[in-house]
Amino acid sequence: MILVGIDVGGTFTDIILADTVKRKLAIHKLPTTAPDPSEGVLLGILGVCSREGIGPGQVDYLFHGTTVATNAMLEHKGARTGMITTEGYRDILHIGRHQRPQNYSIMQDIPWQTRPLVQRRHRKTVSERVVPPHGEVLVALNELEVRARIRELKAEGVEAIAVCFLFSYLNPEHEKRVCALVAEEFPEAFVTSSAEISPQFREFERFTTACMNAFLGPKVKKFVLGLTERLEGIGLKGDVHIMTSNGGVATARTIAEKPVYSLLSGLAAGVLGGEWVGRRAGRENLITFDVGGTSADIGIVTSQGITEASARETRIAGFPVMVPMIDVHTIGAGGGSIAYVDPGGAFRVGPRSAGSVPGPACYGKGGEEPTVTDANVVLGRLDEHHFLGGEMPIYPQKAFEAVAKLAGHLGLELYETAEGICTILASNMANAIRSRTVQKGHDPRQFSLIAFGGAGPMSAIDVAHHLRIPEVIVPLYPGITSAFGLLTTDLKYDFVKTELLISTQNPGSRLIRDMRELEAAARDQLLKDGLPENRIRFLRGLDLRYVGQGYELRIPITENDFDGGECDRIWSAFHDRHRVEYDHCFPKNPIEVVNLRVTGLGVMPRLPESFERNPATKLNDAWLRTGETHFRVKGSLQRLRTEFFDRSRIPAGATIAGPAVFFQKDTTTVLPPEWNAHADEWGHLVISRNL
Amino acid sequence: MSKLTNPEHKTKGTIDSITAQVIWGALENIAIEMGHKLTRMSYSSIIRESEDFGAALLDPDCNQLCESVFSTPLQLGPIPGYVRGIKRVFAERGEEFQPGDVIMHNSPYYGASHGPDVAFCVPVFDGSKLIGFSVTTAHHLDIGALVPGSCGIVDAVDAYAEGLQFKAIKVYDRGIKNQQMWQFIADNIRASEMVLGDMEAQISASRTGAERYLELVREQGLETILAASEYLMDYSEKMLRSEIERLPDGSYSAEGFVDGFENDPDPTKRDLKIVVSAKVQGGDIYVDFTGSSPQIPDRPVNMPFEGTVAIAVYLVLRSILLDTETHEYIPQNSGLTRPIHIHAPLGSICNPTFPAPTIARFCPGNIVASTLMHALSQAAPQQISAGVGNLKVVAYSGLVQGKYWVYIDITEGSYGGRSCKDGLDCVDTLYANTRNNPIEDIESHYPLRVLRYEMREDSMGPGTWRGGAGSIREVMFLSSGHASVEGDGHRHAPWGVFGGSPGSCGDLILNPRSEIRKLPAMISNLSLRAGDTLRTVSPCGGGYGDPAKRDPAAVLNDVIDGVVSRATAVRDYKVVITDQNTIDEEATHDLRHCG
Repeated sequence: MILVGIDVGGTFTDIILADTVKRKLAIHKLPTTAPDPSEGVLLGILGVCSREGIGPGQVDYLFHGTTVATNAMLEHKGARTGMITTEGYRDILHIGRHQRPQNYSIMQDIPWQTRPLVQRRHRKTVSERVVPPHGEVLVALNELEVRARIRELKAEGVEAIAVCFLFSYLNPEHEKRVCALVAEEFPEAFVTSSAEISPQFREFERFTTACMNAFLGPKVKKFVLGLTERLEGIGLKGDVHIMTSNGGVATARTIAEKPVYSLLSGLAAGVLGGEWVGRRAGRENLITFDVGGTSADIGIVTSQGITEASARETRIAGFPVMVPMIDVHTIGAGGGSIAYVDPGGAFRVGPRSAGSVPGPACYGKGGEEPTVTDANVVLGRLDEHHFLGGEMPIYPQKAFEAVAKLAGHLGLELYETAEGICTILASNMANAIRSRTVQKGHDPRQFSLIAFGGAGPMSAIDVAHHLRIPEVIVPLYPGITSAFGLLTTDLKYDFVKTELLISTQNPGSRLIRDMRELEAAARDQLLKDGLPENRIRFLRGLDLRYVGQGYELRIPITENDFDGGECDRIWSAFHDRHRVEYDHCFPKNPIEVVNLRVTGLGVMPRLPESFERNPATKLNDAWLRTGETHFRVKGSLQRLRTEFFDRSRIPAGATIAGPAVFFQKDTTTVLPPEWNAHADEWGHLVISRNL
Repeated sequence: MSKLTNPEHKTKGTIDSITAQVIWGALENIAIEMGHKLTRMSYSSIIRESEDFGAALLDPDCNQLCESVFSTPLQLGPIPGYVRGIKRVFAERGEEFQPGDVIMHNSPYYGASHGPDVAFCVPVFDGSKLIGFSVTTAHHLDIGALVPGSCGIVDAVDAYAEGLQFKAIKVYDRGIKNQQMWQFIADNIRASEMVLGDMEAQISASRTGAERYLELVREQGLETILAASEYLMDYSEKMLRSEIERLPDGSYSAEGFVDGFENDPDPTKRDLKIVVSAKVQGGDIYVDFTGSSPQIPDRPVNMPFEGTVAIAVYLVLRSILLDTETHEYIPQNSGLTRPIHIHAPLGSICNPTFPAPTIARFCPGNIVASTLMHALSQAAPQQISAGVGNLKVVAYSGLVQGKYWVYIDITEGSYGGRSCKDGLDCVDTLYANTRNNPIEDIESHYPLRVLRYEMREDSMGPGTWRGGAGSIREVMFLSSGHASVEGDGHRHAPWGVFGGSPGSCGDLILNPRSEIRKLPAMISNLSLRAGDTLRTVSPCGGGYGDPAKRDPAAVLNDVIDGVVSRATAVRDYKVVITDQNTIDEEATHDLRHCG
């Protein structure tokens, strides 16, 4: 079977082609095309196919990570969008949670007020009202009014409409009816309803998500359908699947309807790639650490799988998004992060970045401020002959000048300054990881750090040192780990229903009934995607909290947990989880069920377990030179003799003691003293502290 | 105490700038973790949804080292004052901090912000050495006052009527829980299960902070931590001073008014005056409240000096001078208070004496903040906003099967226009920054229905940059109950500046769709039946600059969006908008230039 993964990033489009029968892997990298990234996708597929001597028609599955939706949100370039909502609540979208994003600011802007997804003129209200607890209709839907509002929106030139009613998660009938009326009155409009996108309570977040879907809809739909058409045009017959924010994939057709699911498409692929690497190495707890020039993306994987973000924490461009997402935490720290002295005299690194233009000072493209990359040049860890496979010229002198200037401002010695840049960067990164681990009840000492991206392997061991993480794994191809990730997942659709039920009121039978309903919906979707029954699986979960609490914990459940309608096993699992997260539980308190979740999985073909490789047979063949680098050892900065290697030629089974540096085409791995690197059978470098 | 000036700080130890950055990150991370834990464990919506809580670490001298950045300034700012208050009580009683202690404190005459904001303080020991404090504060639903809830207690005649007073009470003494005390609290407050659950959450979060702080100290060494903390405080101080130095030296003053009790027969209980004079002298700023109204002996609008007035001052100066939108992100620590010197005459509304009641000091405090900003508009015209709309806090309550339910709703205000920006609409203002509770949450858990929640139209203060819109919110009782309100802004509209017009006043109306009864902004325990509806209308911010200079395209946009009427466009902005939603250029030109 031939699988192709295509990850479109800001700078590069990475392509990976895997032949699962011959266990062969081909990799291709080309610049991302703008404004239409599908050009690059097409060129890339044709390129890799011709290199491998196969026709596009032989590709069985195509998996794609895209940033079209993400960029449309970040640049606020979406459709002119209208909204139909309940009378009396025209401005839910504008008022939000009435909290200012910043505590200490007079001049701040509020994203949803400065850059509304739907302008007030296009927010129309109609009489209707649904009420809790069961979605009873208090005010009937006035259909005449609805038709009039739709015609107004049409006349105003909107391209997309979001239908958002209070309590629609309890009873979506009014929303559904309005969608049907839109189809009659204004069939060309892209239409979304809030309960269909995310049937959960909290109106501001749900309405915003629905409006975002409408805002993105026309653009993403055009891109996805256009791409599919062009792929068919070059003879590709395989299904096109798009990576979704929950770490699964969805068909192109689904994404055309629900583009909001693809907001974290690219980021999710990175976490999956990191997971794949860690699992191959047999590790259970993983921190995926994807660092580029500007930012670091952090994901957490435990025995429970990839950690999902809670609904409260998922944001894009400042807006809340209420759809299941992998918990990827992004901070402004990377190889291009700029080091500077602020007006108060503090030594800072990032979040400002030199990006790729002008880039670090050592690129010689006009950048004068010292970056993390420049600090590594000064410390002797990067050299002009091997940086990015020697394809990219660097000018060490410029790095020295930039860092020396900063050292002058700080009154520090040159090498101390360079090492300080690395330390502050690693400390910032370590804090970001702490917020995802320590603060959620995970001990980083029980995790492996999977470091990839262009700059991850350069800083990873410093970060591990800060967090007492015992082990760092650098994949064989750190620069294309995201593209790998695309080939390791399944079709994945999340279905959720808000159902406020109390543990003391025997909710079992109701939960079972609702669960069946959600399973049926998930099965329908997967069957629609052409999955045979035997490749469909379900994951089930409940969002629970103690009665009166406001934050839920997600508890995975299985069918067997409903012991003839009894739910005791579920409740005790919740008490246990609460204790892990908060060191505290209240076994006598009643528990409130908030959401019921079913994830439908459609099992996809995957990367094979191993691939052919041709590494050098002896470590000597991988040796490049001996040089000198600076590292801090037991508190003092020392100049140390260091071996430099060609990463691609390191034989399996080799063990190398730090200090050492490994060059490869897409990254540089820095191995400090007191750490050892071991090349495992997959070609991954497993780096651990010297005991 | 009538002056808040900071003592000479100690000479700092040696620390390099790299380690200082590393320790800053680590400290802030601890405070964030405390806040995270507190919100997620707590029960009442006022903490978990509204985020009306604070968390911080202090050094042994009560200097704040860091704070949980995702919470409310009015909870965060007072934390050092709480611990100074605890120390004062301990000194008076001859008590000492011991390992394992957890101290509960809410006395506004000993540093607290007001009674319902209860602190739980865990002294951190390394062996037998006291190395700091880990503290959380949070607003509790009920604290045993004369009427249900912990806001809108506007009839409290003295500090005793405001509820239970916890003056540095050890609820854990050397690790042993004081069971009798807990029982006493449970018996004397309403909705006690929820309140005690929230208190447990606070203790747990404070203990977590203490553990993490101790780990950090053991890892880095106490000397290093204290030296880094000193370095960070010096740094924050230097940043603030350099901004003060940019202001022209001189004295800037303004007056503001708090509505007070508009229906009270005693005129001294309404239109309470706040007089602010801010003297800028080099890198220091002296804020003086001389001339403000005397304290009201039997109404709780007096403001604790240390726990409310000082916080409002610090907040405004930091937000104007080190605005996080336009400045480096700097550590929020006690260094930021060093250049600021505050004086308020003892016995004034800004510095009351015991036992004058203080529980409803929230709205007056925001007027202190807004009036100080008004004074500084002369010195920092690009950095301020015009007058800000004040908030209302409403406590809804009732009895169901012998048990109290209490729901506290904080309604938003709005900001005034700013240099090159309109005011923010419908947000919490100045020292408040809570979150509203989703309608879908309120109606699922309380016998209430929210009938309307929208922006006000056509009421914002006109200006080149107009004020923000306030909100309209209607809440109906589905079964009988009570409402208490503490609000402001019915009598004095937010000020306009540099030629901008004032914003508009707020309102409170009972049964707006039938009897339309106008209510004052301060109400104690109003009895309501099923079907009764309260409409809160929040004030709209003032305008900034001459409205006749506003870009006509911006006026057109406002008209199309329905937030400004065509009549207002003509009257205030001198812009003529046609029925086809275009600008009548000729008519506009005539209006603007030919009188």
